[in-house]
Amino acid sequence: MIYHASTLAVVVFALFVASVLGLSLWLGSRTKSSGGYFAAHGQVGWFVNGIAFAGDYLSAASFLGICGMIAFFGYDGFLYSIGYLAGWIVALFVIAEPVKRLGKYTLADALDSKFNSRGLKLVAAISTLVISLFYLVPQMVGAGALVKPLLGLPHWAGVAMVGVAVTVIVSTAGMVSTTWVQFIKGTILVAVCTLVVAMILNRGFAVPSTPIAATEVQTLAKSADATTVNGAPLAPDNQLDSKLRAAHGTGFGSVAALPGGVERTGPLGPLGFFETFSQSTITTWKKGTDAAGATTFTPVERKGADLLLPGANPTFKGVRDDRVASKLDFISLMLALFLGTASLPHILIRYYTVKDAVSARKSTVVGIAAIGFFYVLTLYLGLGAMTSGALDPTDSNMSAPLLARTFGEGLFAVISAVAFTTVLGTVSGLVMAGAGAVAHDLMKDVLGMRMSDAQQVRSGKIAAAALGLGSIALGILFEKMNVTFLVGWAFNLAASANLPALVMLLFWKRTTKQGIIAAMATGLVASLAWILASADTMEKVYGYSAADAAAKTIVPFSQPAIVTVPLGFAVLAVVSLLTARSAKSNAAPA
Amino acid sequence: MSGGDASVPAHRARFLGAVLFAIYCIAYATFVLVAAFGTFKGGAAVGGLAAPAFGGLSIAVVAGFGLIIGAFLLAAIYAVFGAPPRESETEARK
Repeated sequence: MIYHASTLAVVVFALFVASVLGLSLWLGSRTKSSGGYFAAHGQVGWFVNGIAFAGDYLSAASFLGICGMIAFFGYDGFLYSIGYLAGWIVALFVIAEPVKRLGKYTLADALDSKFNSRGLKLVAAISTLVISLFYLVPQMVGAGALVKPLLGLPHWAGVAMVGVAVTVIVSTAGMVSTTWVQFIKGTILVAVCTLVVAMILNRGFAVPSTPIAATEVQTLAKSADATTVNGAPLAPDNQLDSKLRAAHGTGFGSVAALPGGVERTGPLGPLGFFETFSQSTITTWKKGTDAAGATTFTPVERKGADLLLPGANPTFKGVRDDRVASKLDFISLMLALFLGTASLPHILIRYYTVKDAVSARKSTVVGIAAIGFFYVLTLYLGLGAMTSGALDPTDSNMSAPLLARTFGEGLFAVISAVAFTTVLGTVSGLVMAGAGAVAHDLMKDVLGMRMSDAQQVRSGKIAAAALGLGSIALGILFEKMNVTFLVGWAFNLAASANLPALVMLLFWKRTTKQGIIAAMATGLVASLAWILASADTMEKVYGYSAADAAAKTIVPFSQPAIVTVPLGFAVLAVVSLLTARSAKSNAAPA
Repeated sequence: MSGGDASVPAHRARFLGAVLFAIYCIAYATFVLVAAFGTFKGGAAVGGLAAPAFGGLSIAVVAGFGLIIGAFLLAAIYAVFGAPPRESETEARK
């Protein structure tokens, strides 16, 4: 699609970003110590921290990715909403308070609190960096997706803008500015999305002026010389949806038939929205390839009730398959989402910004309220986008902003700016986690570099800048991936590498440092290797066809958590028992 | 434990937390297992999440919202009825 920048969108966007950067620079002038830089002096109020949790967690994956997946495939995207929110139960009841008691700045602090081991710090720091990088990529991809329609700039420009802005935020005031950016973003995101949902309900559903026939295939052909749409060169007046709009008054994503044969429902209530949707027929678009190699989009009518069930998306298709291995893939992903949240380094470090364990609990409850409310909204936003007639079938990540555009340029400008700030907030948290791992864990504790307080802060800032640059490169590389799919990987890694170590350290007294090191290394390497060898990765990253990917993969399903999380627990238990026994025999008198 | 009355609220909070956590784990696991094994056969919806719940809504929609809203309710119960651990105990553990 060709997008054109609107002046209003540019102005609103510039105001948002300038405000955020201005706040960071101001806070930066007041933050000098390492305690302030890495943990906001441990003095953030529990309510602000709770909303900042939401700001941190409601990433591009939650906003752009989930809405996009629901808009393209229905209920499957909502499964991510359920899993992401469920993960906070583990955080609240298992991890939050003990971790607050154990740590100071980083995940490694908490894990190493009993042992003072360089090896453990090294493994924890590497785990933090790898997981943060996997989480960073989808955020940057989301940023690139946003600037295309907002500013009319290419994908790489959006990625670079986020990279530079985040580097400024994190390099100025670290966790202080990151916290406030996340607080502001969390508040505005939930408020604006509530407004959009109210507008969706008020608009209700409507069918196009004339029905879209199954034969109206839209074709997109790209060659080195030119891009053509339905045989003619791509141009502002010949876009992928131009023909549809001329014939039916709507673009991609529409209602084919409403219950009772009515043409328009008028305003709907929150429950009536789903009742009407499930009794409607929806025109969705199936992506394919024609004999000449061009990409085709074929209209497929589907029952609304079917779209409100899992299994339409390739990631979740296993639930509709009778083979157990396919079902295990789905169960494994849901397990990773459940266990991954509490093990994400950028979430864990937020527990160090409050003053005590009680505040950690309170802020988690506030976070769950804000995040849960947002995830309820995602199903309305996604289905609203699915029937908005404004989808870009080449890019699911654009669904939410394009939905907003159907309500006017003003709302589009605001929601795009909010989404961009969303990316800024989450990426800032991730870069902070990575910077802490490099400057505090690796340089100071593992390498034993003697650093003054000011030097620690400076090292953190340099690490943040380096991570910002790295994330720009990765964001450009992974442009075409759905951001929610990518985040699923980060959850698998976090659940496999960090959760067994955290849980056993907190609840099993015989845990040894060797056990933790072995479990983290095994969980990280095993889950990473599994992901890289999976059919999903072969198809979506290496570019194999689905059939070739299935033939070449050496793992039975794509999501590793169901194997690698128990593996981490088992390795930790065995190694701890062995090393505790040898330590005891070494300590026994001769 | 730091002894005396100070350990009682923390103990109660941990017990309540464990019970609430178990409740949610069972609910989440049931949802996932029903989605995986109880909803489709041969690619067609046969019940489970596809079954009607109320008001024209399917179990899938009701259970999905239930898990999200339920998480908040359990968190709120924990916040209100789970006595916060004493900071003296926190210090003693360090």
